[in-house]
Amino acid sequence: MILKAYNPAWARAKATREAAARWQKQGLLSPAQLDSIYATHPLDYYRPHIFLRIALFIFTCLGSGAASGFFSLFGLSNYFLVVCVLSALGCLVVLEISIKSSRLYHAGPDNALLYMTLGWLTALVFYSVSLAVPAAFRNSFSPGNPFLPLALIPVLGLLVAAVVRYADRLVSAFAFMIYILLIFNILSHSTIGRLLLPFALMLASAAAYYAVWKVMQHVDRFYYQACFTVLKALSLSVFYLSGNYLVVREGNALLNDMPASTQIPFAALFYFFTVSIPVAYVYVALRKHDRVWLLIGLLSAAFSCYTIRFYHSILPPEIAATIAGVVLIAFAIWALRYLHTPRHGLTSVAEGEEPLSFSLESLVVAQTAPSASQPEPASFQFGGGHSGGGGADSSY
Amino acid sequence: MVSDEILIDLQAKGLLSPEQTAVIGNYEHTRPFSLHYELRTVLYLGIVLLSGGLGVLLYQHLDDIGHSVIVAAISGLMAACFAYAVRHQSPFTWEQAPRAGVVPDYLLLLGCLLFLTLEGYLQAQYELFGTRYGLAVFIPAALFFWLAYRFDHRGVLSMAITALASWIGLSIAPLSAFTENNFFRSGLGGAAVLLGLALMGAGFVSEQRNLKRHFAFTYLSLGSNLALIATTAALLSSEPTLLGTIAAPLVLLLSGFLIWYARRTHSYLFLLMGAVYGYIAFTYLFFKLFDSSSELLTLYFPFTTFVIILLFVKAKEIVGKP
Repeated sequence: MILKAYNPAWARAKATREAAARWQKQGLLSPAQLDSIYATHPLDYYRPHIFLRIALFIFTCLGSGAASGFFSLFGLSNYFLVVCVLSALGCLVVLEISIKSSRLYHAGPDNALLYMTLGWLTALVFYSVSLAVPAAFRNSFSPGNPFLPLALIPVLGLLVAAVVRYADRLVSAFAFMIYILLIFNILSHSTIGRLLLPFALMLASAAAYYAVWKVMQHVDRFYYQACFTVLKALSLSVFYLSGNYLVVREGNALLNDMPASTQIPFAALFYFFTVSIPVAYVYVALRKHDRVWLLIGLLSAAFSCYTIRFYHSILPPEIAATIAGVVLIAFAIWALRYLHTPRHGLTSVAEGEEPLSFSLESLVVAQTAPSASQPEPASFQFGGGHSGGGGADSSY
Repeated sequence: MVSDEILIDLQAKGLLSPEQTAVIGNYEHTRPFSLHYELRTVLYLGIVLLSGGLGVLLYQHLDDIGHSVIVAAISGLMAACFAYAVRHQSPFTWEQAPRAGVVPDYLLLLGCLLFLTLEGYLQAQYELFGTRYGLAVFIPAALFFWLAYRFDHRGVLSMAITALASWIGLSIAPLSAFTENNFFRSGLGGAAVLLGLALMGAGFVSEQRNLKRHFAFTYLSLGSNLALIATTAALLSSEPTLLGTIAAPLVLLLSGFLIWYARRTHSYLFLLMGAVYGYIAFTYLFFKLFDSSSELLTLYFPFTTFVIILLFVKAKEIVGKP
């Protein structure tokens, strides 16, 4: 289809090969069948290892940024609009040519060029709008600026078009955030709007989730899979956050310029949301076997604990941390053993080996573990001149 | 479900028999949902919270609780962790030992964290090591190295390496290596480079001699990062130091080594590190040696990045098949 920048067969071939490899490991396919599936689904695109993609991304950003700087050398720096248009066009042309000629598929350079194009176009839109609106609102990018929708609506259209064509995850995330910002902006101008804001945002994210689910039935699922996952995760998160007591209370204080947050209307309802939404997410995740719901559920559960502790700290933090640690360790050990043989459709055995994460795990330990053991008592002082760069580890 | 769509597609292409399609479809709909990584994360989070909470708790209640009670409780917990790990250990080998399981692995980690808590407490309360702070840091480093090799545990190995680094006064954890160390002022640059080089050497030897060769990644990633940050900091520093004068060739040499190593082991992380640090040093040298007018600057970046991107797109040939 002309709408899609990348060959849709690539996404399908990738998903098919992954599924077939998994089935072969389970003994459901013979090696000969796997080979013939591989032969009929060739991966003839360029998408290197993640670290290489990062490097390509960095260098493409650097190069195209410097190239835009080069434009502005020829006396064009006075004409910001011209530089924007030229840079956006340049990035877009290089993007399309490189996808066609080098068969790039979310390989780093194409991501970078897409973001560059959209960045320049967004700058163009904002700059044009700022020329058109009254001077008082010109340089204010606060979410409450009444002229902001003038810029946000074209940008949203731009991002949606880009998602349809390039199926990029980050762009779909930005499009979703602009959609939320738009609703926030429109409602925040009136008192009644501000009162209804949490409910409106919950409704908006639920509607977005439903729309994504509906659209998913009718379009190329393989091509847009990653975008759908991102949109699902974001709408679940925003739904939770707009009902979260802490977010609503502190947000209310910010919106009304209050120095300190005070009790909000419907407090009990928001407490109910804070507690029940994570539980509901995890429950749905375990029933429907949906990892996105599970991860968002666990993260929101952690944030709910933080929310409740923020206003009602029952125990001092160190005791709470110790008890929580014991509970979590005990629960994890119990669950790992209990689900070692699959029960209730759940298992604690890994689905497939992930060698990369095993290697990187040691770096995570290096980053997090030592800081946990570093006590910072006010009464205890370093004895000698050893405090040099001791930092976040085991020096006392 | 996506898998149904794939199955229909494969059957239509004649790659699967209808019976097989039904069997696989049934498998996809009934297979259990794996909670492996989620539970591991919960376990690790619990360990971090527990050891962190206990550490703070001890310092706050130094005078209220009986010291012997605290020492006994933590020692007991630590001993239980180590005992559990010992009970599930596999015999020592220089190869990669079979993983003992998630729980023994993480309890060993908890044991090590508790050891740090206990040692810190003993030092604070009884001044066990007096003013020999070096010894207080060196003992856990030595113990953790031994445990890491005995139990074949990369997490404990990285704790040993961070302890070793803090013995010299450096912070080596991936993120705090950037934020905590102040190479510009502290004069630690030389020590950091030497330690980094030593760690890289250890990694290289373990790879070459086949002594726990899967440890090489941890040694090399932590060591090369430390050495390269320290030399790059010396390179960009305005103060003339001995390290600063040899910094540029040293960065280029280390980057070259990493790229060569990436080629040998098909590791893209080291290729990335080598390329980024090497590019910084090369750019610095270029503008040091040539006139740094703005025209040259704007031409330099598009041109060099274009060359690098071309090189990377050919990286399959550089790194070899993964």
